[in-house]
Amino acid sequence: MHISTTSWHRYMALPAFALFSLFFLLPLIQGAGLSLTHWDGFSTPEFAGLDNFREFFRDERALGDVKTTVLFALGSAPLLNLAGLSLALLLNRSFSGRNTTRALLYMPAVISPMIMGSIWYLLLQPRRGLLALLFEQSGITLEGNWMLSGPSALTVLVLVNVWQYAGMTMIIYLAGLQSIPAELYEASAVEGATGVQTFRYIVIPELLPALKINVITNIIGSLSVFDVIIALTGGGPGYDTESLSIYIMRMCYGNKTGYSTAVALMLFVIILIPVIISLRFFDSMEDAA
Amino acid sequence: MSKKRGWMNAVLMTLLLCAAAVPLTASGAVESTTEIDYFSGRVETVEWTDEKIAEFEQLNPSITVQHEFQKDASNVIKVKLASKSVPDLTTVVNQDFIDQGVFADLSDAPFWDRILPSVKDLCTDLRTGKQYKVATNVTMGGLFYNQEIFTELGLTDAQTWDGFVANLEAIKAAYPQKTPLFFGGKDSWTLGHLIEFWAHGVVKQDLGIPGSRQAFLDNTVQWDAPDGVMEQFAEALMELEQKGLINDDAVTASYDNQKEAFASGEAVMINQGMWVVGDIISLNPAMAENIGFGPFPSVVDGFSPMVLCAEDSVYAISAETEHMDEVMLFLDYMFSPAVQKEYSEVRSMPSAFTDVASDWSPIKDDARRLVDTYVNINFSTEAPSGLSVDDTGRLIQKLLNGDYASAADFAANYQELWNKAY
Amino acid sequence: MNEHQMTSDARMNRVPHGSDTLHWYSRLMVLIVSLTAAVPFYLLILLAFKHPEGGLQSISIIPDFHLANLTEAWVKSDLGRALVNTTIMTAGGILLLVLLASMAGYSIARVRSRLNRTIFALLLICMMIPGIINTVPLYTLLIRLRGINTYWSMICVMAANALPFSVFLYASFIRAIPRSLEESAIMDGCSFFEAFWKITFPLMGPVTASVVILQGLGMWNNYAQAVFFLQDRAHRNIPLAVSLFFQQYGANWPLMAAAALIGLVPAVTMFLLFQRYFVEGITAGAIKG
Repeated sequence: MHISTTSWHRYMALPAFALFSLFFLLPLIQGAGLSLTHWDGFSTPEFAGLDNFREFFRDERALGDVKTTVLFALGSAPLLNLAGLSLALLLNRSFSGRNTTRALLYMPAVISPMIMGSIWYLLLQPRRGLLALLFEQSGITLEGNWMLSGPSALTVLVLVNVWQYAGMTMIIYLAGLQSIPAELYEASAVEGATGVQTFRYIVIPELLPALKINVITNIIGSLSVFDVIIALTGGGPGYDTESLSIYIMRMCYGNKTGYSTAVALMLFVIILIPVIISLRFFDSMEDAA
Repeated sequence: MSKKRGWMNAVLMTLLLCAAAVPLTASGAVESTTEIDYFSGRVETVEWTDEKIAEFEQLNPSITVQHEFQKDASNVIKVKLASKSVPDLTTVVNQDFIDQGVFADLSDAPFWDRILPSVKDLCTDLRTGKQYKVATNVTMGGLFYNQEIFTELGLTDAQTWDGFVANLEAIKAAYPQKTPLFFGGKDSWTLGHLIEFWAHGVVKQDLGIPGSRQAFLDNTVQWDAPDGVMEQFAEALMELEQKGLINDDAVTASYDNQKEAFASGEAVMINQGMWVVGDIISLNPAMAENIGFGPFPSVVDGFSPMVLCAEDSVYAISAETEHMDEVMLFLDYMFSPAVQKEYSEVRSMPSAFTDVASDWSPIKDDARRLVDTYVNINFSTEAPSGLSVDDTGRLIQKLLNGDYASAADFAANYQELWNKAY
Repeated sequence: MNEHQMTSDARMNRVPHGSDTLHWYSRLMVLIVSLTAAVPFYLLILLAFKHPEGGLQSISIIPDFHLANLTEAWVKSDLGRALVNTTIMTAGGILLLVLLASMAGYSIARVRSRLNRTIFALLLICMMIPGIINTVPLYTLLIRLRGINTYWSMICVMAANALPFSVFLYASFIRAIPRSLEESAIMDGCSFFEAFWKITFPLMGPVTASVVILQGLGMWNNYAQAVFFLQDRAHRNIPLAVSLFFQQYGANWPLMAAAALIGLVPAVTMFLLFQRYFVEGITAGAIKG
């Protein structure tokens, strides 16, 4: 049977779309047009055709940033999901102090990135950070400087990002877990399912919406990483740990506003590809379920 | 179920009430007075400025000064310009905006008679010979050193690069635990200043300030000349690194680390500007009597030591302003000797006004001595604005990290970036 | 309804899925996770109470209790007014967002019309486009609409920015709620709206709570838009107030941390209030049977 849908409820998405169009979409389209111009941000834009996009593929700094960004996301997005899901499963149970623990996990994300950044730096800075000093006091001298080599710097950045935002991912998984009807657990208990079986056949399928949202948002979030890198390495040494978002920001206010728009559109494409693949995957999962 | 609904309703009601408060507090009153917009990037002096504005408004009840201040003022002003809403008065000025004709010509303004000629020169636009900005203060940069240790080891201002290295080595020999010269390279602008002071400085000394400004503007300096300034500058820095005269985390330490290391005595010398003095004293009040201020040596033999002595605290007026008279009236008040004396003391910076005598800093006497004794250089205002000290500092990060095969590579990379930004 | 209530109560007593007690290793995990998450927060406290002398280098594990930081930060940045402003703008933004996003999400999940598909696709795409592109056109637009220095403009802009993610969240979760629930309610004589309000909306509790928690947080910490649109002192929000402690060269970390700590209190309170709703979601889920 189908609900006889009244006409107004077919159009319930329109108010949202109206607000979105005015305050996001229209300015966005106007802004995107600037990608076809040479523009320093204040004088009159000059039409440039596809020059900016051609420049992108010759721009070593930009291409290096693409590599950094993708590597970062390859580490960060899966780890964030794993950490968020594990935390949600752990904190979905009832025990005393649960609310405090949840709040604690969420807290790093509440504190504004500006101040959080300085705290991470205070903790993790090579040689002078509190962690390094702690090791020193226990007689272990940390050799080397993690900020100076690409792989170690990226590893630290990924871990900090996970630490900072796992709480957000957890929240969505918690919402998903809480939406699972209790009778499903009961039914599986009655049928004598093991914990693993329950997880595989009850929790995972029921958690699909949450999984989908988290995978997509973490792909987007990780590929647009900005704050964590600014705070810890500033993108350095040189531009070794600079992400594409940082580059866009720096170009936008560094007299290459038109070009920065083109790079932003390239970042959009870079984000779009994995997102479409994941969406396809989840749609087929949902159809199968 | 009902309990839950009630709770939810309560929250929604609260939200609704908050939202309902919006129209009540939203502004939109019709002003009968003239309003001028004053856009400032000087977050250090927000409170002081607000006080002065209040005083001014009391004296001139028909004028209201809308004071907007932003940490990211240099970004915000660009968006304002792009949207054709230039504030009447601003403290954020760069050469590109002047070239675009954003600012009004101040050449005939009454205050120039009271301003140091050297500062007026630095405020003069080379292309037109006119003044589109005015600076009320002078800022200085050079090497700050631990006076006690210098006296104890019998060290004086180095006159040559070798003398400078010898000083640092003497410090290292006497205090192996201390850092002779400390860099906070994570904040790359601190390294970018090395290029602006140490490397550009040689060109500024060689061509003179007007000559070097013109050369930067016309892009006639060859930075990648074999054995030229940039190459020698890179070699000089590498020498400091190889001899262990700088901190081993020069690339990853922050500006905060640099200030703290100097304040605690861990670092004996730092390359900075006088903006650092107030912070050092608040970190360690005992340092007030212990901060020495000296010139930096030339990285190329045959040139004299230098000190940065440049314009600070600039103002410019929108070319499109409809309230020129009111803005000038406000500047008249802000530029009065009494107000400028206060400003100079609040910012710990000498005034550019000849009729303002202030007690601005414990390093006052040293500063006087440096200005009189050594070659004065300016900020590289005419360098391409797309190449900020933040960007050039990154080249030094790479240099100190061993990413360049040779000093010549460094110079070539610098030239490439410069040309791209030009 | 009574029957359902009873069965769900009975279930609550039996507590499904082994959530009664935690094994010792789970407890240990919780402890480790909490401690890890608490470290940056503790550092924030250390920093907020840090005496200016000695700088960050001299930070020790026991706070300095230099309480003057709190009052100094409060006065210098006019934090009281910033708190009021931020509360108004966040509350307005969230209200608008929840209203529009839940409606849109519902319509998109239930009616697969071409219009809805298009809107959903557009929203998803915009989630992936770096927002920096629309800065200048949006600024120009708000000048024309006289939206500079107003609460409503920030409310609209922040809600618009948060719409894609929130609609995505609502749509995905509502899709997972069986249609049969509403259909049976409608067969029982409920109007369509009643079916939405009595059946679907309560089930959306956990999702709404996540939207409020996640997007409310973003609005609370909004700097990217506020820096352009809130220009006078009377309208500044908390991130702008905190940014006052950044100076041309360097920053005053202790005062910034103190201001951030004060700004954190309402955000965490909001979290604690709304996360309780996750638990109540269990009973709501039980109605499904």
